[in-house]
Amino acid sequence: MDPVAISMFLVFVVATLYISYWASRRTRSSSDFYTAGGQITGLQNGTAIAGDFMSAASFLGITGLMFLGGFDGLVLALGAFAAWPLLLFLLARRVRNLGSFTFVDVVSQRLERTRIRIVAVGGTIVVVVLYLIAQMVGAGKLIQLLFGLPYEVAVIGISALVLAYVTFGGMLATTWVQIIKAILLMTGVTITAFLVMYLSGFSLENLFATAVEKHPQGERILAPGVLFDSPVQVATILVSMLFGTLGLPHILMRFFTVPDMHEAKKSAFYASLFMGYFYLALVIVGFGAVAFLYGNPRFFHSDGQLIGGSNMAAIHLATAVGGNLLTGFMSAVTFATILAVVAGLTVSGAAAISHDLYAEVLCKGAPDAHRELQLTRITTIVIGVIAVVLGILFQNENVAFIATMPMVVAASVNFPILFLSLYWSGLTTRGAIAGALVGLVSSVSLIVVGPQVWVSVLGFERALFPYDYPALFTLPLAVLVMSVVSWLDKSERAGIDRSNYHSLLVRSEFGESGQPPPVAKH
Amino acid sequence: MDTAAKLRVIRARTRRRFVFTLITLVLYFSFVLNWTAAGDRLAERLGASHITGSLLMFAALVVFFILLELVFLVLNQATTRAGEDQ
Repeated sequence: MDPVAISMFLVFVVATLYISYWASRRTRSSSDFYTAGGQITGLQNGTAIAGDFMSAASFLGITGLMFLGGFDGLVLALGAFAAWPLLLFLLARRVRNLGSFTFVDVVSQRLERTRIRIVAVGGTIVVVVLYLIAQMVGAGKLIQLLFGLPYEVAVIGISALVLAYVTFGGMLATTWVQIIKAILLMTGVTITAFLVMYLSGFSLENLFATAVEKHPQGERILAPGVLFDSPVQVATILVSMLFGTLGLPHILMRFFTVPDMHEAKKSAFYASLFMGYFYLALVIVGFGAVAFLYGNPRFFHSDGQLIGGSNMAAIHLATAVGGNLLTGFMSAVTFATILAVVAGLTVSGAAAISHDLYAEVLCKGAPDAHRELQLTRITTIVIGVIAVVLGILFQNENVAFIATMPMVVAASVNFPILFLSLYWSGLTTRGAIAGALVGLVSSVSLIVVGPQVWVSVLGFERALFPYDYPALFTLPLAVLVMSVVSWLDKSERAGIDRSNYHSLLVRSEFGESGQPPPVAKH
Repeated sequence: MDTAAKLRVIRARTRRRFVFTLITLVLYFSFVLNWTAAGDRLAERLGASHITGSLLMFAALVVFFILLELVFLVLNQATTRAGEDQ
């Protein structure tokens, strides 16, 4: 590995560890730990959200897919981006006004607290763990490739660093790591895109013409059909990415780090702005990878395969257009990207256990603050250990596939509960639980019998279900079950759930406004 | 503002939210047209250039969604100034 790259890695690690030390001196309560005391501004939070969401899967994965299939790689980019307008239109204000630490706080405002929390925590943990596996496997492989370290050492090292950030610095340290990472990533992508355009004479026409000339598929890479050939297949990806993002607990949690709903809305807009820019720049980076890597033997094995696989296309492009300096910078940025996302996930998982389960369910909302914070830190360490173990166990699985699994589960479990509890007065606890369980079981089952697991992992000849990402079917199923069971529910509790809606509706739109909080009956 | 007035405001806001959501969803899922026979023309090059309608659609959707958010925020700001949040 180049000394310049190693220096950049070290600078980043030292800087972020200093931030954790600084943040740890300001983290005294659970509120500080989970939501940075709610004192992050809209711009800072929007940047941190972008930092949290633009994972290695976005940067390395989408560039890699475009390197392989051109235009088709942009399906994932549009899927990842379009959730942000909906987050602003439908969720930002209401979620911010109703919750305190996690999205589970929001749904438990009107439904029966204990049961709905247990179910929602279950959904959160499944999503966080699946997402963590993807990040840890990607991180381990990347560090293994860049530094030549054994995979297990790489995974343990990453986990140790994230634990240092999160255990001591909580959400404040995590937020600043994510802000720094977002700025670095956008700077890196901007420099790479600029150099690609410079070498193409600042002409998109020249860039696309060179890409078409170099790619084995020729002109087909400019249009759909190289990677995906069926509209239903594309629709399954779009539904999973869109509604999955709206149900990601670590993203929703970020809305509680700002002081009010005005800043929450600004956060969503700034996040969109940064990500829109990022995904547009990826068009240049993706086609740049095609134009400047194909035909250059320096980046390929003798059997014609790209060194490190297609996921390394973005890093190789940095070498091709910017030499070792840019490669070192982009490698450090990629490392920062993984650390920031894993840190956000870890805080979210820890909050689900210590806040949602311990403080709200076991202690009935009146926990000992010191013990809760202590438990949060212990939970963080446990999640770190689980991440290492699962990262090692799943090391040979397809990262892109693992990364989309939590999206399918979040779209089928978390999103329907959250959306219906905010927008439908008829939702009852029984309906929400039945729908969430059906969403969870159906999404996990269809993933298992789909091509990626049934054929690629388990070795069967033909998949029992033809699509990898079943949210197109499981999300409507979960909503249908929630609606029908709620409609048929004539229990006493159902009456309370329905009557809670209108008072919470006013609070969700107008906030507390000096009025006494929780009007909901439980 | 009394409860009835608040509920009127909420109804108006919810309508606005759903209109913006509907526009986003329709445009978002229209991207699937690229993979159907109905969207064949999208895959064609624009004149003599290498830029296709599909590529242009991707970029236009990203920019349009950001503008849509901006309009939503400006509308919200205008109604807040008019006393809707009181």
